[in-house]
Amino acid sequence: MASVYVIAEHRKGELGDVTLENIALAKELGEKYGLAPKAIVLASSARAFAEELADYIPEVLTIEDPSLENFLYEDYAAFLRPAVDMFGPGSIVLCPHTAFGMELMPRLSAETSLPCITDVTELELDGTRLRAKRSIYNGKIVSSVSVDASKGALVTVRTGVYQAPDKLSARGTIEGLGVSAEPVRKKTEFIGYREAPAGEVDITQASFLLSIGRGIKDEENIPRAARLAEKMHAVLSCSRPVVDKKWLGKERQVGTSGRTVKPKVYLAMGISGAFQHIAGVKGAGVFIAVNRDPKAPIFRVADYGVVEDMFKLMDALEEKIGGER
Amino acid sequence: MDILVCIKKVPDTADAEVILRSDGKGIEEEDLAFGINEWDNYAVEEAIRLKEKEGGKVAVVTIGTGDDEDILRRCLAMGADDAYRIDSSPFYMDDPYSVAKGLSAFAKKHSFDLIMTGVMAGDMSYAMTGPLTAGMLGIPHTTLVTSIDVKDGNISVTRELEGGLEESVRLELPALLTIQTGINEPRYVSIMGIRKVRSKEIPVLRAEELGLSAEEIGEQGAVLELESLERPPEGKEAEMISGSPDEIAEKILEIVKGVV
Ligand SMILES: Cc1cc2nc3c(=O)[nH]c(=O)nc-3n(C[C@H](O)[C@H](O)[C@H](O)COP(=O)(O)OP(=O)(O)OC[C@H]3O[C@@H](n4cnc5c(N)ncnc54)[C@H](O)[C@@H]3O)c2cc1C
Ligand SMILES: Nc1ncnc2c1ncn2[C@@H]1O[C@H](COP(=O)(O)O)[C@@H](O)[C@H]1O
Repeated sequence: MASVYVIAEHRKGELGDVTLENIALAKELGEKYGLAPKAIVLASSARAFAEELADYIPEVLTIEDPSLENFLYEDYAAFLRPAVDMFGPGSIVLCPHTAFGMELMPRLSAETSLPCITDVTELELDGTRLRAKRSIYNGKIVSSVSVDASKGALVTVRTGVYQAPDKLSARGTIEGLGVSAEPVRKKTEFIGYREAPAGEVDITQASFLLSIGRGIKDEENIPRAARLAEKMHAVLSCSRPVVDKKWLGKERQVGTSGRTVKPKVYLAMGISGAFQHIAGVKGAGVFIAVNRDPKAPIFRVADYGVVEDMFKLMDALEEKIGGER
Repeated sequence: MDILVCIKKVPDTADAEVILRSDGKGIEEEDLAFGINEWDNYAVEEAIRLKEKEGGKVAVVTIGTGDDEDILRRCLAMGADDAYRIDSSPFYMDDPYSVAKGLSAFAKKHSFDLIMTGVMAGDMSYAMTGPLTAGMLGIPHTTLVTSIDVKDGNISVTRELEGGLEESVRLELPALLTIQTGINEPRYVSIMGIRKVRSKEIPVLRAEELGLSAEEIGEQGAVLELESLERPPEGKEAEMISGSPDEIAEKILEIVKGVV
């Protein structure tokens, strides 16, 4: 029987929440198309992860090897190439669309005969055709793409789309997959992790964030935003392009590769609403978005929207609060 | 160290209206501003910096039409030594596998120590072409690269993970890296600079010259098929605040006061 496999993402001894999101999708696909949902844990020591996952999915398979201590696609692929051969035709393999999945899945696809679709938000099986929805052109268009999944298919799933499922009433089983690595001459080596240095502020603790994006346009305008933030008693944060240009420090970046924030008020100006940004705004009390583009995707997640030039609004806010400009 | 950077021309859609084409398979391109994919610009800058440090040459390549040559010229003005265009007409360009076949066939004809792509192209956001190309070439790769250090035939890079965490990875050369934004500050390209490279020849290669048949790279050979495009479904929409900037400011301050 064809199955749908979730490859567990873990790092530094911790399972990523994204694995549970993918389990939710796997179970949904399982019910719809009669596929057996299974999780696979590749690790140097898989037991604890497997125990955790068995609360959510009926079958957990493990691949244990010292080489799997830290993630390198070479080591994972050495086990997964023979593993996918065992999965049977029509099986679907899910990974999150994260640094882990983005590194592994397209490469595994090139090294096997299985096609890959990345960053999907919805999946549908139409006979042997696997169809996915993807968000493109800065979130303004949704595309439907498909691959021939008769031999199987690899998928990376956008994070934050599916909710972690409820626990099962009866725990799942845990079993070794019984696959050995293909011999490879390794060409990559894991050296170590580098933690982000602590910056001058901790935006994760702020109750009011004024967040600016590429709409701020020029470095010259940063002090103006900083001044407004101060007057409003907000902490200044930003989207990635502002950090990429070195206009603000990395510690102020909200998003998947920055910080996850949970302020009482998130006031975003000149930010389009890319998922990597929005994924970093978890549970804002009130989310207000200011953007001059009425079609900006950020209006689909914000509570309040303002279609206006951010500079005009910044001026008006400053004036209302008072004090010299 | 000889470096190849793969670049693509994409429309800026963050700050523009995107209109679906009536056939539902593409967007109206006329009123959009096109330029080099943001990630690729960082990759080109990084390649030129590596060349300036380590010696060697930088080549840029795009699979595209004659209209795409301006981004190649822009890279020459930045300091790339050679630019190539692979004629895109026989390619099914919506399929990253077709593109990767073209890029890997091109790379095989030369001998590059390092290949760079962007992490993703801002149009379709596949983030696949780099690792696919590396897989087809059988060379090691790593994605989301935020710094590069070359030492004795090896290359050490940092790659970006989530939440500000990074990891260091060592790769044997030749290798392929996908470059993340923010790795450097790309240099400014002046009109003068572009004028200077105006007469530089850009060789145009045809797929057959790379040993690729239309069946392999055309629609019939596509691994991933683009079926249709649509507008995002109406979901939860924000409650819109309208009025003059003054009135809006007042309303925002009211909302804030009620919560913070
Ligand atoms: C692996 C990976 C990780 C990433 N991690 C992050 C992350 O952690 N955080 C993050 O933010 N991004 C991240 N990104 C980048 C993300 O995909 C987007 O590119 C980014 O969020 C866009 O930032 P932006 O909205 O500021 O810019 P844009 O998308 O360019 O949007 C600018 C917006 O400003 C509006 N605007 C312009 N001028 C004005 C004006 N005068 N008044 C009002 N509105 C105006 C425009 O209409 C537009 O909507 C990541 C990408 C990748 C591939
Ligand atoms: N037509 C193309 N020509 C050259 N390089 C490309 C092309 N399309 C994609 N790339 C490269 O592949 C990267 C990732 O693209 P994608 O996989 O489409 O997101 C881009 O940043 C480019 O470096």
